[in-house]
Amino acid sequence: MGFGPVAPEQDEPYFHAEWEKRALGVTLAAGGLGAWNIDESRHARESLHPAIYYSSSYYEIWIRALEVLLKRHGFLSDADLAAGKAVDGAATPKRVLKAEAVAAVLARGGPCDRPLAAPARFREGERVRTKTFNPTGHTRLPRYARGKLGTVEAVHDGFVFPDSNAHGEGENPQRLYTVVFDGSEVWGEGADPTLSVSIDAWESYLEPA
Amino acid sequence: MFNTPETHNLVVCTLCSCYPWSVLGLPPVWYKAPPYRSRAVIDPRGVLEEFGLTLSAETKIRVWDSTAELRYLVVPMRPEGSEKLDEAALADLVSRDSMIGTGLARVPA
Repeated sequence: MGFGPVAPEQDEPYFHAEWEKRALGVTLAAGGLGAWNIDESRHARESLHPAIYYSSSYYEIWIRALEVLLKRHGFLSDADLAAGKAVDGAATPKRVLKAEAVAAVLARGGPCDRPLAAPARFREGERVRTKTFNPTGHTRLPRYARGKLGTVEAVHDGFVFPDSNAHGEGENPQRLYTVVFDGSEVWGEGADPTLSVSIDAWESYLEPA
Repeated sequence: MFNTPETHNLVVCTLCSCYPWSVLGLPPVWYKAPPYRSRAVIDPRGVLEEFGLTLSAETKIRVWDSTAELRYLVVPMRPEGSEKLDEAALADLVSRDSMIGTGLARVPA
């Protein structure tokens, strides 16, 4: 069905080729230039043409998206890529990640919890409906979970809102909720009757039921 | 999330590859690939069969579609025959897959 078997590999190595290690390192180091946030980088991956996205391995997706981000922010040109080295001038980065700082930067991570002034709009146990929409930009509400009736299972703290942060429109933090759906609500006829699926939804994804 | 005899938990990130990597290390390729990401929320029993895990027909399955903000770890059920084992021995029975939900804790020899 669909994309075929999961086909898990036994005792899988972290990397299947040396270049994958570099891909991870270069992507994280480029993030350290301070030109984009993680939401923008996820959106760059998810906006790759579907035919390219689905035929690329995981780290290929990272590198292709990194090219998009570097070009968008003036660090890379098509001429550079064609020549395999810097031939055009590049923007000056805000900062550069140095080797000696890597461990500390990775340990610190990028926490995205933020304080909120307003109280929660929804409470635990409340029935809610997820929004139906079709945004052209970044979102974290999966298509399968739009316009569905579910129950708030947990009310969480505030977090950066990816839908706006990915486009440089600010963090605009919102409260996060774990919302659980019956399998039949999501998939309808033929759904596994023992299945329930939950998502973590930002407050603006939800409406009262 | 604790697995119980009534409910088995499974974690996925359908949108990307969110994973509790600071605890479990970098995720495996299958976790980040379209087959698992799409089928885990549609046909988790079929996915678990591929991992050699067959749940009883009455067991409920709860699939957690994770986002970057909250990462989930499954706590597998204590296996039979492990009642007298200490923490270190018990830890030895817990696999990475059992903490994603695609496996169970190993039964002690």
